[in-house]
Amino acid sequence: MKMLDQPLVVSGQLAWLGGDRLERRVEHPGNEVSTIADGEVTQQRDGHEVRRFSLKRAPQLQLLLDSFVALLGGDPTRLEQAFTIRRDAVDATRWSLILTPRDPRLAQAVSQVQIDGRGNEPRCMRMQEADGDLTIDLLGELAARMPPAPTREALATLCAGG
Amino acid sequence: MRSTRRLFLLLAWLGGLATLGAFVATRLRISTDLRSFMPAPTTPDQRLLMEQVGEGPGSRLLLLAITGRDEAQAAGLSQHLVASLRGDARYTQVLNGSFDLASLDAALLPYRYLLSPTLDQNRLDAAFLRDQLQQRLDDLSSPAATLLKPLLPRDPTLEVLQLAQRWMPARSPEVRDGVWFSDRGEALLVVQTRAAGFDPDAQGLAIDGIRHAFDALPDHAGAHLVVSGPGYFSVVANAQTRGQAEWIGRISSIGFVLLLLLAYRSVGSLLLSALPIATAALAGIAMLVACFPQVHGITLAFGFTLLGVAQEYPIRVLSHRRAGEDAVQSVRDLWPLLFTAILSASIAYLAFYASGVNGLRQLAVFTVTGLLAAGFSTRYALPYLLPLRVRDVADMAWLHAARRWADALPRPRWIPLAVAIATVMMLAGAQAPFWQNDLSALTPLPQDLLLRDARLREALGAPDVRYLLIVEAPTEQGVLALSERWEPAIEQLVATHAVDAIEWPSRYLPSEGVQRARQQALPDRPTLEQALQEAGQGLPFKPGLFAPFVDDVQRARALPLLTPERFAASPLGQRLAAMLVQRDGRWLGLGTLSGVHDMAAVERFARDSQGQVRLLDLKVAAESLVVDYRARILRALLVATALLVLTVTLALRSLRRAWHVLAPMTLATFLVLAVERVAGVEVSLFHLVALILAAGLGLHYALFFERDIGDAAERRRTLHATLVCVASALLVFGMLAWSSIPVLRAIGLTVSLGVAFHFCLSILMAPHARQD
Repeated sequence: MKMLDQPLVVSGQLAWLGGDRLERRVEHPGNEVSTIADGEVTQQRDGHEVRRFSLKRAPQLQLLLDSFVALLGGDPTRLEQAFTIRRDAVDATRWSLILTPRDPRLAQAVSQVQIDGRGNEPRCMRMQEADGDLTIDLLGELAARMPPAPTREALATLCAGG
Repeated sequence: MRSTRRLFLLLAWLGGLATLGAFVATRLRISTDLRSFMPAPTTPDQRLLMEQVGEGPGSRLLLLAITGRDEAQAAGLSQHLVASLRGDARYTQVLNGSFDLASLDAALLPYRYLLSPTLDQNRLDAAFLRDQLQQRLDDLSSPAATLLKPLLPRDPTLEVLQLAQRWMPARSPEVRDGVWFSDRGEALLVVQTRAAGFDPDAQGLAIDGIRHAFDALPDHAGAHLVVSGPGYFSVVANAQTRGQAEWIGRISSIGFVLLLLLAYRSVGSLLLSALPIATAALAGIAMLVACFPQVHGITLAFGFTLLGVAQEYPIRVLSHRRAGEDAVQSVRDLWPLLFTAILSASIAYLAFYASGVNGLRQLAVFTVTGLLAAGFSTRYALPYLLPLRVRDVADMAWLHAARRWADALPRPRWIPLAVAIATVMMLAGAQAPFWQNDLSALTPLPQDLLLRDARLREALGAPDVRYLLIVEAPTEQGVLALSERWEPAIEQLVATHAVDAIEWPSRYLPSEGVQRARQQALPDRPTLEQALQEAGQGLPFKPGLFAPFVDDVQRARALPLLTPERFAASPLGQRLAAMLVQRDGRWLGLGTLSGVHDMAAVERFARDSQGQVRLLDLKVAAESLVVDYRARILRALLVATALLVLTVTLALRSLRRAWHVLAPMTLATFLVLAVERVAGVEVSLFHLVALILAAGLGLHYALFFERDIGDAAERRRTLHATLVCVASALLVFGMLAWSSIPVLRAIGLTVSLGVAFHFCLSILMAPHARQD
């Protein structure tokens, strides 16, 4: 992240609650639960007031929702609607999807989403923000392999199939 | 040579009318602000009411609801509509639930440290900043990151969000897709217009602007926009009244022309008799233009109605022409009586002038000028134009029969007494209340519009237009300081759910004292940089990241304190400006209430503040205003009556003869009142105005019947003239009585009844008949 001189690492759980609802639960550091439901984001943190804002104001989350729900729900049309898709097969089992948001407003915030997977399981999600910041989500068993002091390069290798 | 002179006179008259018309057309400026038809306020509460009715924050709010094919479309339209209305000078505020940081002007951003209460409890020291930076770090890894990232370097303590929260309407509807939604799936918006709420024309423009903006949006097909609020109501009421008055006017004009053709069988006479009326109308308007900067639309509408009396003058001249007699001679014979009639009608209408209400004063100037113009042109111009040979109406066969029948009516002396007793009994027996004090009872709004407004108001938490909380001080700053002082109590009222929300001036702008204290608590550059460095230790923020923050704090230290004037440049400042009112060298702060659940608690709070916070019930103030208004009109009527008695007595040179004229008129007036009361009508100001008009007409009937002398043919002519007058008045006002609009119905019904009663009583109480 441009503002920071080292990457920010958090871990927790991401859960699809069905429909357009997603729950993001951070367990380390600190506890925080964010829920996306009905176009609104609710963010709750220990010892603080609940913060609510519109999904429209958080394009990152909108894309997370779009891609995740489509992926988990196995809904290729939805994915098609939100993104132009490039599909690369790395080898027999490993694949990666490169998604470019169709909505110009969203594209202004997030230029590209890359999802790497193996078999029928997504393992890694990279979100390239337009301002240069990069968010990398390591999913499933890969999450346990997060290095203590990660660098972009190390994580990219990890995603690519280390 | 006579025909050349006639032609010349006709051309001169028409030329004169054209000149007047041109003068009027260039100079006439019509106002539609309904307040000039409300009485002049006398108490402070009433004055505040008058200002608030038109310009208060509540009355300028328009509530909008968008129904779309689905919620996503409605939400999108809501966002786009806001974008296209913001920046339009007609609207001071456009809200749809998505708080836009743009509503805090960029130039005002450094003021956030003076406006936000953060510095009341905290200092920008290392400990506070450390806690804040830690939180921001958590934020960056949270879904809110994209939202907050742009703010961070300039505003690490998120004061902007603090203010946003403070300024969001306290009780707002459910937010879906980022905008307000009602539980029926409509996207809701609130628009505050610059125009006063009770100026239907300006409100009409504002509402058209919204509709055009909506229709210009892409993807609005299948969606529907609903508008509500006081301004919208004034537009609807205005359009409805105008619409009905127009079609009723058209029908009755056609009827009137047919009636005159039937009565005189001469197109020439008909056209010529229109000249005095045209003269009356143009002279009246010209006088208004000369005396007042703006003429009220209602003055003109009522004025033309009241000028109906003037139609009698040419009718009398036409009916009283004898076969072969020179028109000039017959007018000369008629003139003393006609002049008395004109004078007394003018005196009755002058009563409006004494009311002290601007609109009614205009009405008086217009009608009195009009009556005099019609009278004098009937006397000095019309007769020279009338055709030489006319049919004497006295020879009509049906008129002979009618006169015989009228003369044969029994006229027992006890009639006046019996009518008087019946009137008193009816008045005494009618159900209370006698007076209609509620102005809104006369606003012709369909019930479903009102229900929809209540529903939207409830959903939006829009302020109740009825109640205001008021703080008063010699200066603006005094008002803000007082407002600050009572803010905790106000918050308490909301916390205990006595009221859903209260808009309160100091929520938007702290007083200079508080701003100064906060300003003095801001650290200087080295201190802040030092604290920031300490706070950032061990946190991954890049060095120098918060330079914009340090700059802003330094700027805030040197800022001149934010005054309401300086603040007024921004949309939020406009919201505040609507809450601060200057009057008679003192300042008032106005708090509006939304969703009142426990009025008693609010009253208790106002009482306990020992007069520092006053609760104003606008409905009570409005009713007291109407009562005052009525008292003025009644007093003016009393004076007019005295003058009338004097004029008629002097003109007839006999108290006994004056009695024969005034008694039927007075009795008939009270009889109308009694019949309406028994029918359950509550008497409003419009009924009073209509009673005066009817009395003016009745006075004419009585004057002419009283004059009836031995000459049988002349008496037939009198009956003819009176019948034509009565028929035309019944035609015009009878049509109005069918209107669905209470105001028009009140006037139509009262005048029709009045004309009928005046006619019957003046013919039954005419003196000569008993001498037969």
